Formats: sequence, structure tokens, C-alpha cells
Amino acid sequence: MDNMEYIETYFNEELSPERKKEFEQRIATDPVFAEEVAFYLSTKQVIAMEMMEDRERFKEIYTEYKQGNSLKRQKTSLVRKLWPWAAAAAVLAGIIFGWNAWFSSSSTKELADKFVEQNFQTLPVTMGNKEDSLQAGLHLFNEGRLEEALKQFEIMAMNDESSVEAKKYAGIVSLRLGQYDKAINYFSQLENYTRLYANPGKFYHALTLMKRNRPGDTETAKQLLRQVVENNLVGKEDAEKWLRKW
Amino acid sequence: MPFHQPTPNSSDRDIINNLLQDGINRKKGEEQLFSQYAYFIEQAIHKYSFQEDEAFNIYADTIIAAIARIINHCFEGRSSLKTWLYQIFHNKCVDLVRKKTTNKDSVNHALSISAMFMQMADTAKSVIQEMMERTDRELVKQKLKEIGENCRQLLMQWAEGFSDKEIAATMEYKTADVVKTSRLRCLEKLKQLYKKDKISSIG
Repeated sequence: MDNMEYIETYFNEELSPERKKEFEQRIATDPVFAEEVAFYLSTKQVIAMEMMEDRERFKEIYTEYKQGNSLKRQKTSLVRKLWPWAAAAAVLAGIIFGWNAWFSSSSTKELADKFVEQNFQTLPVTMGNKEDSLQAGLHLFNEGRLEEALKQFEIMAMNDESSVEAKKYAGIVSLRLGQYDKAINYFSQLENYTRLYANPGKFYHALTLMKRNRPGDTETAKQLLRQVVENNLVGKEDAEKWLRKW
Repeated sequence: MPFHQPTPNSSDRDIINNLLQDGINRKKGEEQLFSQYAYFIEQAIHKYSFQEDEAFNIYADTIIAAIARIINHCFEGRSSLKTWLYQIFHNKCVDLVRKKTTNKDSVNHALSISAMFMQMADTAKSVIQEMMERTDRELVKQKLKEIGENCRQLLMQWAEGFSDKEIAATMEYKTADVVKTSRLRCLEKLKQLYKKDKISSIG
């Protein structure tokens, strides 16, 4: 049995307890073998991440496609049947809603921009000598190396699915990079950790929607902010302020 | 009677030409290809009762596979792009239906790296974690492109958590054992390519 096959039998839990122990001892004593185990796992991780990134890229195109499509559908079904009335109504509605949307969207986006500028330009780093992966990611972020920081946090989030901090920072960096769908994904995952003492997931989710500013985003953001206020969650003060302004 | 090979229509030609270029044009081609047939997603939702994200994932994987084949000049143009793409998409849909009915629990549930680590003793775990952090991920990605499309597809299915039996059904291998042997051979090939470059970069 060659090494790759041997490694696989270990991870497929096909080895007896004695042989399992033997495998783990070999990792500690045989660096070449340990490298092979690390390569096996890294490869699996790299491919899985690449697939995720590829799909993520197409997700944005799909969202745009859906928006364009629903507009097209509205046009063909309604406008074709009642087009003179629809045209008149559309002009009027366009003026009213366009005016309204212009002002409301620019102000919500401005609020979000301001928050990001004040809070997400640099992130707090723990003082001390110990340089763990999280701190390394934060250093990269603070040095403006956002892509590298995102990679660092994503690897951590993937290695340890329970890593709340890694997900939070992966979300923040994605937000800074303008990768809003990805940021929303991370913040939604964060929201699900209901046992956390202080969970900013919902608030950051709302913030990202305000930044993304697609049709319907403002309304969803509002609902999330109301929940933040009602449940006394992290971001309550800002949420109250913003809701008063809307 | 001479064999008549249909010529691709202008829209197909436009997409393929863009995909065969680099940079912005390639990206444009990818977007064109994705948007052109994105309605397949909706069809799959209705036809196979898939969730939207399931149908999206299948379609995205179809596009990724198709792009790789077009770039590698494996699309022969014997049918229109739409027919060819639909064939790939349809096969993937059928695979998912089959997997859902035969083994509900294993669908899209890759054994995560953290779960793999869970079973490892602490000393071994820290050695591996340290080594994984040193792995040149970009180089692995680059070498993945060099192992051949079939190998890449095999490893992709494996990384997504599909069993050898499921891969055998999807990729038309005779048995799960054949998949296992081929997959491990691909992994070994990738490792050798990676090592070779790593050593030459150090040297």
C-alpha cells in the first residue's frame, strides 16, 4: 500500500486503533510522511475552496441575471397588455419612486459608508508576542493587504467551522473588498451562533445590505436593524440612530 | 456523402472567441456563457424539483467544466453550444437525482477538514497544521491545471465529498475501485508536479 492510500485509510477511519496510533506517531517522527499527509489535506482544501470561489463568482452574475429577467418578465406580461396605462403610470411612478429611491438610497449608503470608514479601516490586534493565524490576518488587513487577509481568514474558517472570529473578519474584509454576497454569507453564518455573548452578525448583515443597495436591500436591512434594537444586540445604538433617520 | 459539421452560430462563436482569449475578454466570455443559458437553472428547479441553490450549483459546475473544455480545445463544435452544454447540465442533474434517491445523507456533505482533524491526536494535529500553513496553495492550484481535465474532475468530485461509487456512476468508470486507483494516481501526479516546482524554486 503506498502512502496516499495509507493516508486515505486513516481519514476514512478504516484503521484499527493500534494502526491509527502508529500512523499518528509516524507523523511526529517522519517529516517526509507528515508532508504527504499535509499535502493530502491541503489539496482537498484548495480544490474545495477553488470550487467555492468559482461558484461565488457566478453567483453574482446569476443575481444580476435574475434581476434583469424579472424586469423583462414584468415588461412582457403587464406592459404589453396594458401598455398605454402602464406607460403613463410608469412615468408617474418612476418620477415619484425614483426621486424617493434616489434620496433614501444615497442616505442609507452614506450611513453605511461612514460606519465602514470609522470602524473597518483598521482592526484591533492583540498585543503580545504570540503570532497566531488570526493576528496574522489582522496585521495583513491593517497593512491594506485585503485579499491576503481574506484568504487567511477563509482558510481559518474552513479549517475550523466553529471559528466565529474568523467568519466575522472574513465578512468584514469581504465587505471592504465590495464582495457583498460573500460578506452576507459570512455574517448570516455568524447570526446563527445564538449562544454568543455579543454577536454583531445581524447588524453587520444589515450594514452590508445598505452598502450593496440592490432593490429590496434597504427594506431587509431595516427589518434586521429593528430586530437588533428589539433584541438588544450588538450595534443597537447605531441601529436606533439609523432607523430614526429613515 | 460528406459529413456535414454544423458551424457554430454567431453568438456561440463570439462566446468561444472571447473564452479563448485572456484577461477581460475571457471574463466577458465567461459571463456571456453563464447568462446565455442561465434559464437552465429555472428549468431544473421545475423539472427535477431541485432547490434553487442545488440547481445553481449544478449549472455553475457545468459552466466551469465547459469553460475548461473550450479553453483546452475539447469542444469540437459537433453540436451547438446550447445542445452540448445542456447535455453536460442534464447529466449532472440526473446524477444529483440518483444520488439523492440512493444516498440522501452523502449529497454535498464533504467531510470538512475540521472533521478530518477531529480524529487526529493533538501532537500529530499541530505538526500537520503547521505544514499545511506552509503549503503553497497557489502552486497547488497552478499544478491542478496541468494534471489533465479528467484528473481534475476526479479530484474535484472527491474534494466535494462524493464517494468513489458515486464518482464511478457520474464519470462512467466501471467500478469504485477503478475510481480509487485513478484518483490516487492523480493525487500522486499532482504531488510530483508540486514537489518538482517547489524544489526548483528553492534551488
